[in-house]
Amino acid sequence: MKYDHDVIVIGGGPAGSTFARYCAGAGMDVLVVDKRREIGVPVRCGEGLGTREVLAQNLELPKRCISTHVVGARVVAPNGKEIIWKDQETTGWVLERKMFDKWLCELAVDKGAKVHTYTRATELIIENGKPAGVKISHGGQDPYDVRAPLVVSAEGMESMIARAAGFRTVHSLYDVDTCYQYEMKPYDHENLLELYFGNSIAPRGYVWIFPKSDRKANVGIGIGGNHVNAKKGATGVDGADPKVLLDRFIASHPKLKDASTLLEFGGVISVGAPMDEFVKDNFMVIGTAAKQVDPVHGGGMAVAMETAALAAATVIDAHKRKDFSKAALSPYETKWKATLGKKMAKRLMLRKAIEKLNDDDLDYIFNTITYKELNETMDGKFAGPVAKVVAGRPQLLKVLSVLLS
Amino acid sequence: MITIEHAGCIFCVGCSSVCPVNAIEAVGTRMKHYPERCIDCGLCAKVCPANVITLHKGVKDPGQLKASKGAGK
Repeated sequence: MKYDHDVIVIGGGPAGSTFARYCAGAGMDVLVVDKRREIGVPVRCGEGLGTREVLAQNLELPKRCISTHVVGARVVAPNGKEIIWKDQETTGWVLERKMFDKWLCELAVDKGAKVHTYTRATELIIENGKPAGVKISHGGQDPYDVRAPLVVSAEGMESMIARAAGFRTVHSLYDVDTCYQYEMKPYDHENLLELYFGNSIAPRGYVWIFPKSDRKANVGIGIGGNHVNAKKGATGVDGADPKVLLDRFIASHPKLKDASTLLEFGGVISVGAPMDEFVKDNFMVIGTAAKQVDPVHGGGMAVAMETAALAAATVIDAHKRKDFSKAALSPYETKWKATLGKKMAKRLMLRKAIEKLNDDDLDYIFNTITYKELNETMDGKFAGPVAKVVAGRPQLLKVLSVLLS
Repeated sequence: MITIEHAGCIFCVGCSSVCPVNAIEAVGTRMKHYPERCIDCGLCAKVCPANVITLHKGVKDPGQLKASKGAGK
């Protein structure tokens, strides 16, 4: 059988481009197809990224990718009590995501990957019961076959080809957040990520203000999919319109109420568990397409990049042995579950505990714990913070005890 | 079935990500609905951040929708 490439990657976001960079760097023939006319556009993201994964991959962000530096976070309780949280976890950047995605993709091209924009994978090619490539269509023209022994879905939320390959990509409402975001100006910030919690502010979610350059900020909201009501104007906890809630937040914020909006968009993000499996014979799913997203804050970029590095290590090895069977690809899945998977599972437990708290509980917790304990919590070390909270408010043991198991 | 106000669609594909029966998919640069697969669950309409999807419970055929609109109002 003749193949056109060693691997076809669907999607040129952080997962696809990072994966392509590693594989092409190891001498593989990599094709990346992206449905968009321009890599990185449109931006649908809060654009916050911690330093950790970028440093782990020995990357140096060019200036054009960085909107501003982030020195910490301001986490605000429903009653206004705030915790200033400055630590490694909250150090990073707010990106110019469009430039960032394009730069990551260019790095893959520099290593020899081939990238096609405005090119949609329309169908999975199956031969002898196994994937053998995809049909692709450039700009809506007639699709044609591109063959490879491995197809990698880095499709993000759309994940149509992964679905065609038999993966359970569908989300329940409970496992998504519906989001809306404005880019606003002027907003004089202190290079802090600001996060506002409260069931009337953002049921099972939060409002964020992420600082950007030139007195700008991304002001957005994410609320639990199970709390959304499509009826325009709804604001109740049991049914809210995220845009209406965000507008209400902005109208009541002294520094934002008179600011202008420069951009607005919405989106739906995955905040549930990852898919049960990531690999099949001749097929692999990475990043948001595999629901590998942080369930607490909904961030996908860092997880995607770390996952892509893991997946590429497995694929490079499989390529050497000319074996892309499920068994040959499974080290990626096993390693993911043992490392990132454990971390994400703890974050999911945390999300599910937080969503059971009412505003009064949240106020109490914010009053009780310090940023160091917030840090421990995000690290999955729940015992200390939980003990402290429960000591003062024993009735919360019922909700928080899941974190101690 | 559902209807989509395409002009307001921001093409985030959130609807497609929650559809349990693949009845809404991104085709080219817009979302396409397949009424024959639709089970009227309304998840897409709920999750849509741009509020451009409307559920018409029990309606199977777009023609019927037009007719009932005309008749009713």
